[in-house]
Amino acid sequence: MQKMNIKVKKRLITILLSMLILVIATLLITFNLRDNIIYFYSPTELQEIIIDKKNIIRVGGLVKDGSYKYSEETKIYNFVITDLKNEINVSFVGIIPNLFAENKGVVVEGVAKDSSSITALKVLAKHDENYMPPEVIDALKKNGKWQSE
Amino acid sequence: MSLGNLGNILMLTCLLASLIQALYLIYPHTSFGKININYRVLTRIIFITCLASFLLLIYLFLESNFNYQLVVNNSHSEKPLIYKIAGAWGNHEGSLLLWILVLSFFNFVFLETKIKNTEFKKYVISFQSLMIFGFTLFLLLTSNPFLATENITNEGLGLNPILQDLLLAIHPPILYVGYVGYSIVLSFAVGGMITNKIDQEWARWLHPWVIVSWIFLTAGIGLGSFWAYYELGWGGYWFWDPVENASLMPWLAGTALFHCVIILEKKNILQSWVILLSILTFSLSLIGTFLVRSGILNSVHTFASDPSRGLFILVFLAIILIISFTLYAIKAPTLDKKSKINIVSKEAGILANNWLLLSSLFVVFLGTLYPLAVDLFLQKSISVGPNYYVLSLMPILLLLLLIMIVGPVSKWQNDKLTNILFSISKLFILSLAIIFAFSIYFSELKLTQITLLTLCLTLMLVSIKNGIRTNRNYSIISPSLGKSLAHIGFGLLILSVIANTTFATEKIFQAQVDDLLVIDNYKFKFDKVNQTKGKNFNAITATFSLLDNKTVIETFKPEIRIYSNPPTVTSETSIVRKFLADIYIVMNIPENADFVNVRIHIKPMMSFIWFSIILMVLGGISSIFFRIKLIK
Repeated sequence: MQKMNIKVKKRLITILLSMLILVIATLLITFNLRDNIIYFYSPTELQEIIIDKKNIIRVGGLVKDGSYKYSEETKIYNFVITDLKNEINVSFVGIIPNLFAENKGVVVEGVAKDSSSITALKVLAKHDENYMPPEVIDALKKNGKWQSE
Repeated sequence: MSLGNLGNILMLTCLLASLIQALYLIYPHTSFGKININYRVLTRIIFITCLASFLLLIYLFLESNFNYQLVVNNSHSEKPLIYKIAGAWGNHEGSLLLWILVLSFFNFVFLETKIKNTEFKKYVISFQSLMIFGFTLFLLLTSNPFLATENITNEGLGLNPILQDLLLAIHPPILYVGYVGYSIVLSFAVGGMITNKIDQEWARWLHPWVIVSWIFLTAGIGLGSFWAYYELGWGGYWFWDPVENASLMPWLAGTALFHCVIILEKKNILQSWVILLSILTFSLSLIGTFLVRSGILNSVHTFASDPSRGLFILVFLAIILIISFTLYAIKAPTLDKKSKINIVSKEAGILANNWLLLSSLFVVFLGTLYPLAVDLFLQKSISVGPNYYVLSLMPILLLLLLIMIVGPVSKWQNDKLTNILFSISKLFILSLAIIFAFSIYFSELKLTQITLLTLCLTLMLVSIKNGIRTNRNYSIISPSLGKSLAHIGFGLLILSVIANTTFATEKIFQAQVDDLLVIDNYKFKFDKVNQTKGKNFNAITATFSLLDNKTVIETFKPEIRIYSNPPTVTSETSIVRKFLADIYIVMNIPENADFVNVRIHIKPMMSFIWFSIILMVLGGISSIFFRIKLIK
């Protein structure tokens, strides 16, 4: 009887210990996950949130017709992302991807300056000419502006 | 009879044959038990019909037969020959047919192996046939490649230019062989459980299949990464993108599996664990396909996708899981032999490595699927940054490297820790000295970098020493050589990746002809811009020369290609591979600009990254030949 108890105790301790390790590891991983999440906003959603200038976010929508400009002096690209309801001014230094075009879908990653402008660190390109980022479709759908072809 | 109908009849025959074979799983236990079906003939019929319909599909693409919807959507009469062929599987329907072909091919090869246990053989083949049946049904119902077009046209829509790449033509088939290879592993588990045959002999039969799938999966991931590196033009080779993760997850589980099969084969323990890993690995292969094909992921790699297809794969996965877990629940009590594992022994090392691989799997799984869950439940769109993976995997990787150093040098059953540590101590000190010297004389490293790099180097040196010590007769076909090569490869991979991320530089220029571009110690001159014409595209080609005191050492010709079918613009990178670093140039031209945008990357150790993957694959190949010899 006594022997049995020791065996059970040993097993219990092992189980508890491994569970503890598991919980700690999971907590560490999930905290890490939370810190590294990049949120996506449509121009309209960006109006509704409190801007944190430290956080990297993504904004997507259509590139507004006629808004794409480049300044040779400052080497800054400027364009406007719209979900046909609200607009965001984007400034970007770097290489604009080939598939970037006015009236097409785009997603930029960067830091918001205020609720209507963002400094992009990346302009994300997609492989396919006809491809529309799913977030952009969602953003347009939410505003009822989405027309499937 | 039209060719399309022939294809339909072939696939229907396959469907019927695989159904009859799959029913064998049930009917020995019913009143029909006396009926004798010839599993050899059925297996051959299944394979031949699949092969014939796949060849037929390629033929339709070759002759640009625009009577068929799939050819119209994915081909063009002016397309180069090789891409016409590749067009056959460069789409959902064709790739599904390829998937079925590989399933039936593995089934066929298994039939021809010299395993004498026919009862076991029949059950493995029947379960494999069940999977063939499921996918063929899916193909015929939702994605028939032989569908005639409704509007007759004389010209196709073309294949996405970015997919017109030799490497991308062979990459999916290779990856598929890896994914699908694990289907036969699952069939082994199911067949073994039904016939109560999970033992050392079973493990010996299973072993080559596990390695074959692993080789193809490793090679497939490597090729995909290589393609992304030169084609996407971002200078990166791994983005922790969901689609990449989808192929990494079965790899991690598969790597754990084949290490664990070694223990089962040697010591006749861990039966349950091997079964569970077999189920897990193929499930992850299916989940990987589901993630890629369903289009629910927001990926930089886009594929033609359709949610209903994803749903089928999920339902299919559920059926497979229910069958295999029910069977496992019934058989589990009889599976495990009494086992006790000493904490200092080779089997303990392998088991620890298993847990670490599964922990990495958990990290990757969480990062890949968390955004989906958030999207589903909170309707918020998020993505997980690469930092999450790097930070979470770092401690696991550290432990994994440690275990990989001490594990292979320790003995089976029982060993002394002091002996093990002593045998690796010299090489460890040597590695530490080398890394320290590097840090002092060349470039200062952080503590984590020093630790990781030292462990990588130790792993490589210990593996080299081990490979030489245990392989004195210099045979190419040997398990110890295979193991050493693969482990050297892994050490080299991590080492090169760390060096690459630490020392890579990039710079963006807005350049006009005759400009001088300077990055690090490299000077480039922008010589000229030309217009050229390719087979099915127009190109703007720029020429840059790498200068060393006014003499030209290398010329770079990055391109912008303008395709008309379908209309697409792509950037072609120009890469010069040096021994220690790649020089990588990509450019594009903004609208109405009188300059070009040029991005130059200096990427150290790139060639070593590719070489390390080749080493791992070679290691696999070396041990597979040994395994096949063993069965004969």
